[in-house]
Amino acid sequence: MKRIEDVAIADAQDLYSPIMCKVSRSKQVTALEKFYEIEMPAGQDLGHDPGQFVEVSVFGVGEAPISISSAPGKKGHFDLCIRQVGMLTNVLKSYEVGDAIGIRGPFGKGYPMEKLLGKDILVIAGGIGLVPLRSLINYVLDNRSLFGRLIILYGAKNPKELLFEDEIAEWSTRDDVEFHITVDQGDEDWTGNTGVITTLIPGLKLDLNNTVAAITGPPVMYKFVIMSLSSKQLPDDQIYVSLERRMKCGVGKCGHCQINGVYCCQEGPVFNYAEIKPMKEAF
Amino acid sequence: MACALQMLINTMKVKQCLTDQPDKDATMECFSLQRTEVPALIDHLRGFGEVIAPHHKGDVSYTFKPVQDPSDVVLDYNRTLLPLKKMFLPPVEKLMDFSLKDGTFTKNEVAIVPRVFFAIHSYEMQSILRLDHNMLNGNAESNYLNRRKSSRFVGISFEPDEFHFSESVGIAIEEMEGFDLFLNKIDDDYQLYVLTPHGEELIKGFGDLETVETEIVEGRGFKKRIRYHYNRLPRVFENSYQSHVWEDVANRCVSCGSCTLTCPTCFCFDVSDEVTVTAEDGTRQRNWDSCMLTNFAEVAGGENFREKTINRTRHRLYRKFKYITDEQGLPWCVGCGRCTAFCPAGISMVDTVNELIQEDEKAQYHKNTRG
Repeated sequence: MKRIEDVAIADAQDLYSPIMCKVSRSKQVTALEKFYEIEMPAGQDLGHDPGQFVEVSVFGVGEAPISISSAPGKKGHFDLCIRQVGMLTNVLKSYEVGDAIGIRGPFGKGYPMEKLLGKDILVIAGGIGLVPLRSLINYVLDNRSLFGRLIILYGAKNPKELLFEDEIAEWSTRDDVEFHITVDQGDEDWTGNTGVITTLIPGLKLDLNNTVAAITGPPVMYKFVIMSLSSKQLPDDQIYVSLERRMKCGVGKCGHCQINGVYCCQEGPVFNYAEIKPMKEAF
Repeated sequence: MACALQMLINTMKVKQCLTDQPDKDATMECFSLQRTEVPALIDHLRGFGEVIAPHHKGDVSYTFKPVQDPSDVVLDYNRTLLPLKKMFLPPVEKLMDFSLKDGTFTKNEVAIVPRVFFAIHSYEMQSILRLDHNMLNGNAESNYLNRRKSSRFVGISFEPDEFHFSESVGIAIEEMEGFDLFLNKIDDDYQLYVLTPHGEELIKGFGDLETVETEIVEGRGFKKRIRYHYNRLPRVFENSYQSHVWEDVANRCVSCGSCTLTCPTCFCFDVSDEVTVTAEDGTRQRNWDSCMLTNFAEVAGGENFREKTINRTRHRLYRKFKYITDEQGLPWCVGCGRCTAFCPAGISMVDTVNELIQEDEKAQYHKNTRG
């Protein structure tokens, strides 16, 4: 147990003060999602791992946990892509280049990249699950020779909700990326797959000893995707999931994000499935 | 001139209150103290800093508040409405002031103020030691630490009522861990224990005290008990996730949050921004929150990860007896009895745990006879 004598006044941290950053690019990408490039003050680097998140702070409104969408190493900048779904994110809708935005973080545990070196990476993204996974995808692409195959499965409700269309176009043409996309419901221009994301899994040929899957999507998706992967005999400990919770403080204090006894903001949001599986509140 | 002198005195006081305990073992001393001498002792402690002690609040309740008149301090009380945590994690605490005009903010630095907490029960002290872990482990929080480092604690024994059960969670009436001084009631007077170098400093200059042999008081028994030793509870909880006991509790619970509000070890908070009427500036503050409230685990978009009452009532007790207990080996409940005493639906913590034990025993029995 941590005792008061073990901690000096100088050890304490200012946990709740944001760093003031600026929006350096912005673009409404769908009816509900807006992309922001954020510029850190004085060319600082965020210093994050793929899969981590920040607390976005707007004075007068509050804070919300938002996934980082860019890969590490973008000097002085990072990307967010935010769905307008709550109070704070609806205010952010009006944010344009030059507007100030508070940031705390990066927080939590992302993907254990060192463990993934040399592996085939199977990315499974449902809806805005692609936002945090874009960080992983671009990290793999930035360090392409360090990883095996890169397989991306992306599912959206309909073609209008597809994110990062330019990048999707690039992924689908690169020969070092295996990109598969599906929509639940197509429109008249849609010529690709239709159906839920799990329909893309049975056709995959995987090297089961060397494949790691990274899944992010709406809560309902995990169970079915994991069932499909398990039926292909992919071991639980080769599956990573990123879980959404109300990570209010980001520093393991406020209690909101607990999944049974685990703080999602500290031990997650990226979890190894074998480790989080016994947690009854996880899925 | 007077102002500068006052500032100097304040600086010295702050320095003094932040001194860590010297590395020597204090030889525990015990003195006799008449009940009539207690107000003078309180007055003497004011030399160190503000003294906070239990007072009457209305006819039947008690509250911790700063002492104005030492004779107002209540020495025999069952429990205060709000726990002592309110002095370290205030129900509402300003984190920063911000300006909406220029987007700047100023952090609210919590001042280091020497304080003595007087007439504190052992379970209350133990709750502070648990909060220490929550607020200082991993990311150490400066606001909490500033308040905590400058505090001294004077304990007092108590007569358990029908709600106290701290013995069941390993905390005796005379548990002195964490205290600098302790008053153990003997008949109508006290034995004053000096437990730490900080305690010696506090008592320095307080008249002539007569050294006495420590006495053990018999017969201050607990009326309410958990049937098992606390170290067996994590295993009971391990088996009880699907128990029907949770449904019985959830059917009675009205999700008001009284239990967590009055719990000395609950520390969850929410953060909210308050904007002034001119909409030019405002404050960001944190407020106590409760995992028993309906929307506690709800995220933007409406997904609620603990939507049903049963999810929440179960979560609260697992946080007290299983999750952190597995890590730290101690229950995170200190047996003050507040959650039970103040529950409008009459839900009893001890009865619930005992029902879980009974159900687990039944299940084990069936398993064994079948096997």
